[in-house]
Amino acid sequence: MAEPILKVTNLIAAYGPIIVIKGIDFDAFEGEIVGIVGPNGAGKTTFLEALVGNIEVREGEIHFLNKRIDGLPVMKRRKMGMMLMPQENYIFPYMPVKRNLQVAGFLNTDEEKKELLEFVYRLFPVLAEREKQIANTLSGGERKMLSVGMSIMANAKVILIDEPSIGLAPKIVTALFENLKTIKEETGKTLILAEQNVKILNIADRIFGLEAGEIRFCEKTEDLDEAVVKELYMGE
Amino acid sequence: MISSGLINGLIMGGVLSLPVLGVAVVYGITGVPNFAIGLIGVFGGFTTWYFLSTGLITAILLGIAVCFPIGFFLQRVLLTPLGRKKSADATLFFLITCSFGFIVEGGIRSLFPRATINIALPRLGAIHIGNVSADGFKFVALFVAVGTLIAIRILEQHTQAGRSLQATSQNLKLATLMGINTDLVFSLAHGVGCSLAAVGAIFWGSLYTLDMGTGWHLGFVGFIIAVIGGIGNIWGGLISALLMGMVMSFAGYLLGGVWQSVILYGIVILVLIVSPRGIMGSERAL
Amino acid sequence: MKERYEEITTIVVLLIPLSFVVWGGYLQQVTGYLYLFLLQGYVAWFLLFRSGQFFFGYSVTMAMGAYGTIVLTEIYKWPLLASIMVGCGMATLISVGIFFGTCRARGFYVGMTSFLLALLFPLVVEGTRDISGGRSGIYFTGTDSMIKPDVLYLLIVLFTALIVAGLFAFMRTKTGNILTLISENDELTQNVGINTMKYKALAYAVAGFLSGLGGALYVMYNGFISSIDVEAFTTLYIYFIPLLGGRRISYGPLIGALIVILGPELLLSIERYLRIIMGMVFIVVIVFLPEGLGPGMETLLKKIISRFRAVPATVWKS
Repeated sequence: MAEPILKVTNLIAAYGPIIVIKGIDFDAFEGEIVGIVGPNGAGKTTFLEALVGNIEVREGEIHFLNKRIDGLPVMKRRKMGMMLMPQENYIFPYMPVKRNLQVAGFLNTDEEKKELLEFVYRLFPVLAEREKQIANTLSGGERKMLSVGMSIMANAKVILIDEPSIGLAPKIVTALFENLKTIKEETGKTLILAEQNVKILNIADRIFGLEAGEIRFCEKTEDLDEAVVKELYMGE
Repeated sequence: MISSGLINGLIMGGVLSLPVLGVAVVYGITGVPNFAIGLIGVFGGFTTWYFLSTGLITAILLGIAVCFPIGFFLQRVLLTPLGRKKSADATLFFLITCSFGFIVEGGIRSLFPRATINIALPRLGAIHIGNVSADGFKFVALFVAVGTLIAIRILEQHTQAGRSLQATSQNLKLATLMGINTDLVFSLAHGVGCSLAAVGAIFWGSLYTLDMGTGWHLGFVGFIIAVIGGIGNIWGGLISALLMGMVMSFAGYLLGGVWQSVILYGIVILVLIVSPRGIMGSERAL
Repeated sequence: MKERYEEITTIVVLLIPLSFVVWGGYLQQVTGYLYLFLLQGYVAWFLLFRSGQFFFGYSVTMAMGAYGTIVLTEIYKWPLLASIMVGCGMATLISVGIFFGTCRARGFYVGMTSFLLALLFPLVVEGTRDISGGRSGIYFTGTDSMIKPDVLYLLIVLFTALIVAGLFAFMRTKTGNILTLISENDELTQNVGINTMKYKALAYAVAGFLSGLGGALYVMYNGFISSIDVEAFTTLYIYFIPLLGGRRISYGPLIGALIVILGPELLLSIERYLRIIMGMVFIVVIVFLPEGLGPGMETLLKKIISRFRAVPATVWKS
């Protein structure tokens, strides 16, 4: 069996004295979409922030590409190929769309940037139409597309996206999730999505259920019992 | 009278715009209102004056160069770590940078033999426009300001470094997540801002005099003009400098010397009350 | 209860310099100046750290009190008390005016507007030099015949202690409690149904009046005022008084005033390096002791006391 591209062992993370992540084991393989589901306050955002190095890890280990990274700063992890698209403030608001995408491709060569930009525009034609428009004048759905486009431009091996569907209409969520599936299929990247929206079950290969900072279950999507997910969100 | 007021105003604005650029760059990118920047520039001016005997170009370059590391390390050692604390806000930075200004002021007093200087740079003679005649040097100040602005804009639009600068000022967290070394960007921006302030101080010291009061005044006026133009809006900063120059020029004609500054401060107080984002809009909120 | 003891002790300590009139001379003179700025420091402590209002215009309100007193008395020959009242009234109007002018703004803008006014004010003084004397200043002879210097000194010490005691008592009233709520969470206080504008305006009015009174006392004690005395840096020094000493403790401004006002006096021999030293002290305290020197000293004292208590009896015997 292939080695996971990302492996987390007994991760404990905290905000000051408050422990939010209480010993999580997690892994993700190359070319898969992994969903992390859970109600509000489960620790999904904190987990992703801990993976990229935005918050302090108290205990545990994070291995990426077979290298231990839990002591490394954000920038180093980004250069290694892991990036996070946060839940809020995920665009550069006063720059045009194209500039946002160019900045996201900061670490790439000009050739790579050109190829990736073509892919982004193919995936999201509306971004090509509005490439000169200032980012904060886009609609909510368009901004999310821009943020996903930026995560593609970043050309990271592992892309973490925090609640991509938040604030979007159901129709747009469906389209966005389809685009994420296309990204996985055409680029072979690993996507880790923290989500509250159960539509994630339509595209994810595996699902981790998170509640109160602990993993409740880890299953392949086809093996997942609906009742388990329902219990996670609604209680018994 | 109107045309001479306008021309004199443009010239005054041009001279004012150089220290403004320094403030606008620092403030716009780092979000830190550094009130010591005028004094740091004055330190550069004093350095130029002190080393004039070694050669004009050397002295000017030294004066500009000496301010870069001051701004760089101030940001790196003091302001960036402070910015990470939850309690850090603009008021805290205001107090810290004013305190740093006291240190710079004390440094100038202890290192240099005089407290007030004039930098003897070569003159270009008087230039006449209509019935207005002004020192050619003042026009040079205006051209240097506009030229610097254009250079900054070109860098921002067409270079990776410039885009990194813009990205960092607009969304710090996202820029870090993209892999931009935002700590370095901040430090470099602060260093560049202080060097620009030195250029402004050298011009000012040649046209008028340089002393500690000038340092504080340039820092505050620079802040005022940057606020009116919209924080982070560098073109706004230049335009508001030119506008303010004209206002001060007319105020000087009508009311006399000291009222120029009173009108200037009065306008910016009004702007802060009525439109906190400045007249030309801001890319950054305080 | 601890806070009560702290306040009472502070007032008692503030009254001790009444005895300095016995020795007079330099000690009395310097203490007088210290108290004049200590008063301003307590006003800043009250308005910013107890009521949560960012105001940097203390030099303006102090100057209004001072100039109102001196100009009306010296030039227009008004009675002294009336001049003082008008000066204080003008100071109150300015501070309340700034409050209403900036009530739409938040945070730093409010402070900045008042600081810009502090920058503007000396320029106005210079522009009106026919009346104000500008940089050359005006001498105040009004008190020479009325009040002896020793009596004036005693009045200053007594007034300061009384005003400080008054502020402590005020913060214990219902109004004071509401101001504390506002300083902690303005929005939530509004949501609860309290008209925070009314209380904030009152805080500004109280601060403006007291600062103006301090200015009037300053000009009476100093016998002179010019635009140099009321530059924007005066506001900064006043602001640093509670910040350095300790913003949450009742004796904080006292410690801060000792450093900010007495420090330069003690360092006169190295005046050349004074600004460097003061700047470094300010930065060190802001960065490493954000709660001020007072709490830092308290913690150190507690550690020393607990060390002594922890030493076993056998050690003492040997």
